[in-house]
Amino acid sequence: MYSIIVVPPPTTEDDPNRTQRRLAPGERLVFGRSTRHANDLIVPHDGVSRRAGVISAQGAFWTLSNLSGGQTYVVENPEGAGEHIKVGPGRLDAPVPFEFSRIVLPAAGDLLPIEVWAPRHDYLRGEEYGDGDTTTPAFSVDRTKRYFAVLAALCEPRLRGEPHAPLPTVEQVVERLRPNWPAASRTSVQWNIDYLAVKLRLKPGPETADTGPRLNGKKESLVSLALRFDLVREDDLVVLTAPAPRGTR
Amino acid sequence: MTEPYAVPVPRGYRVGVWEVREPLATGAFGSVYEAGRTADAVAADGVELPRTAALKFLPTGTGTPRQLAHLRELIDREVELYRRLKRPRLIRMYDSITVDDPGRPELDGATVLVLEKAERSLSALLADAPRPAGGAALLAQICEGLAQLHRAGWVHGDLKPANVLLMKDGSARLADFNMAAEMEGTHAYTPAFSTPDYTPPELLWSEIGERGRRIRPSADVWAFGVLAHLVLTDSFPLPGGTPTARRDAAAAYARGTDELRLSPELPAAWREIVRRCLARTHADRVTTDDLLRQVEAAAGSGRSPRLPRTLLPHRRSRRTTVGAAVAATVAVAVLGYGISAWTGSGADGEEPGGSGSQKVTAATYGAAELRTDKGVPAAYRRLIVDSAHDCVQPEVTPALIAAILKAESNFDPDLSDPGTGEYGIARWTPGILRWYIRGDGLPAEETPRPPITPAESIPAVGRYLCFMEPRLDATGLSGDRRVLLAAAYRTSTKKVNAAGGVPPNVHDYATRVAHYLKEYTPPDRK
Repeated sequence: MYSIIVVPPPTTEDDPNRTQRRLAPGERLVFGRSTRHANDLIVPHDGVSRRAGVISAQGAFWTLSNLSGGQTYVVENPEGAGEHIKVGPGRLDAPVPFEFSRIVLPAAGDLLPIEVWAPRHDYLRGEEYGDGDTTTPAFSVDRTKRYFAVLAALCEPRLRGEPHAPLPTVEQVVERLRPNWPAASRTSVQWNIDYLAVKLRLKPGPETADTGPRLNGKKESLVSLALRFDLVREDDLVVLTAPAPRGTR
Repeated sequence: MTEPYAVPVPRGYRVGVWEVREPLATGAFGSVYEAGRTADAVAADGVELPRTAALKFLPTGTGTPRQLAHLRELIDREVELYRRLKRPRLIRMYDSITVDDPGRPELDGATVLVLEKAERSLSALLADAPRPAGGAALLAQICEGLAQLHRAGWVHGDLKPANVLLMKDGSARLADFNMAAEMEGTHAYTPAFSTPDYTPPELLWSEIGERGRRIRPSADVWAFGVLAHLVLTDSFPLPGGTPTARRDAAAAYARGTDELRLSPELPAAWREIVRRCLARTHADRVTTDDLLRQVEAAAGSGRSPRLPRTLLPHRRSRRTTVGAAVAATVAVAVLGYGISAWTGSGADGEEPGGSGSQKVTAATYGAAELRTDKGVPAAYRRLIVDSAHDCVQPEVTPALIAAILKAESNFDPDLSDPGTGEYGIARWTPGILRWYIRGDGLPAEETPRPPITPAESIPAVGRYLCFMEPRLDATGLSGDRRVLLAAAYRTSTKKVNAAGGVPPNVHDYATRVAHYLKEYTPPDRK
């Protein structure tokens, strides 16, 4: 029942398998440098306060408290073309509206990113507004996000009328998306595939699904789920050709 | 109705023998219209069609602008359930028709379900009259419907006031089986749709596989708890002004960080029931059968002080269903919903023991369907008759179950045949019995160990036969269908279907069953 996922910054050993922390609504995660204070997430960098901040899950969104003495934290929306919010020192429980965010901790010349995902954000689908009494689908995707373009690219061959067409490789997806997303890379596409697996609550959970050779099974599952529940339809394929809603130039 | 109709159908439009009249309701997936019958016609099962019906239009066909895979699946689920399940507390489907009208591309290819017409939905009733006076009685009927569904091995998946329909006589029936799914072991798979306020916390953000989400009957039990709280207090059990706030409250409650605080307006008996329905985890929730007993007790006694004592049920045990349903109906009538002729539990056929205060001894129990002078031991009559009545298939009769017991064991409750691995009065193989021993349609946790009592064996025979009946081919089999069922009990439905009748190796057995079947059936029942 978690609604927020926190991805810690890479450690000095450059460990690729960063352990994700999942928070359910009402749960908190305290982060900071000190191992003596009750920090749930230790950020071992001298530039970070001993007790630096608190991330609290609130339903589908989260809040950030800045416990540092003098540093302002910036929370960026990586897909927001520079969209960000600032949380000054001493500010408690500042709400963050982004579906995915990067908290940048300024630490003695380095910038340490903590990623926070909020995959439970809801989006309007069709004309109905769910008033709690309406039968609604369990998935809610933002059609303006990159992950949707990645999903559409993965589904494209099958939506174009070849039900058993082989799925595009990650490289093919990169090529397909590059006209609208010049910065697309293997890594960023894989990141979006991993995020989709979390977003669509694919089994198994992301702790067991590391990047690498097992990605193929994940792509296959994503596509069959998306097609089965009509998350991507043929008329959604325009996202592959039309200019990106908020492209980075 | 302010919302646009999902499927607009003009007044006077003809589908089969039906002529569309008024729009009744619309949902996310289809629209329902009242229709009148324009000619004499009978349904596929030979029952005469009513004068008016509710037509549910579900767009799926080739003519619709987009072929939506999930819509097709939702419709197939609903049609399948209606075809396979006929229960007194479930809305009945008379027919399903595919529209063939190339002139109207928006309707061409749509599936039309011809359904029993209800007066209105529970949600409409609650909108007009919150905390309806007959609420407890209605809840007992809704719970009964849920129990009928679960016993048959299905999960509703979307129980809420809009999906409970009230008939002209004031009785309640369950409808809208788009999300319903047949159990596979302890789980069923339903499409990933739900109604937030009625979704149990474990399904709020559950993992979803390619077959949909895994759901248990306990999800319906949670929804019933929410619905009961709403009907009796006009408020949701979990706090919050919006569905999102209530969803978060449900998540916090399920994690154990918050307690359940039910409305003080909830009567004491119902407080306990709602609490059991809304247990934090699915495993802690009350089973449907226990729930039904508690709901009937709460609805039948404490809540209906105005009921004349003579009309209260006297009989106990398995038939409490009948008694409490009678009480519930009476309560509805007393409270002014208007009632015409409504009989007992509404079960098919006569009630063996009558209803009300009339007492029936075991020796004559169900005499109308099972002869009393042919040696069926009196001790098992009640079990046999009740087990047959729990099944909606007309072929599963008390005489058939008795004939099978006679042919299997000569009514020997202590039969033990380790050589073939068969035990008890019905010669159950424990590994198979495991799937039918429980009344709620779930398999037992462990394979039962002999000795196997008649009280376990006989209801399980009824359930197993009931499960097999729809699986025998509808056409192309030779012989009495009841005897074929007995042959399938001995072998399997596959073998009977493959043999096109009684397989040769069980010929003698089938002959004996046929003989006793004839002997045990009263003359006017042939």
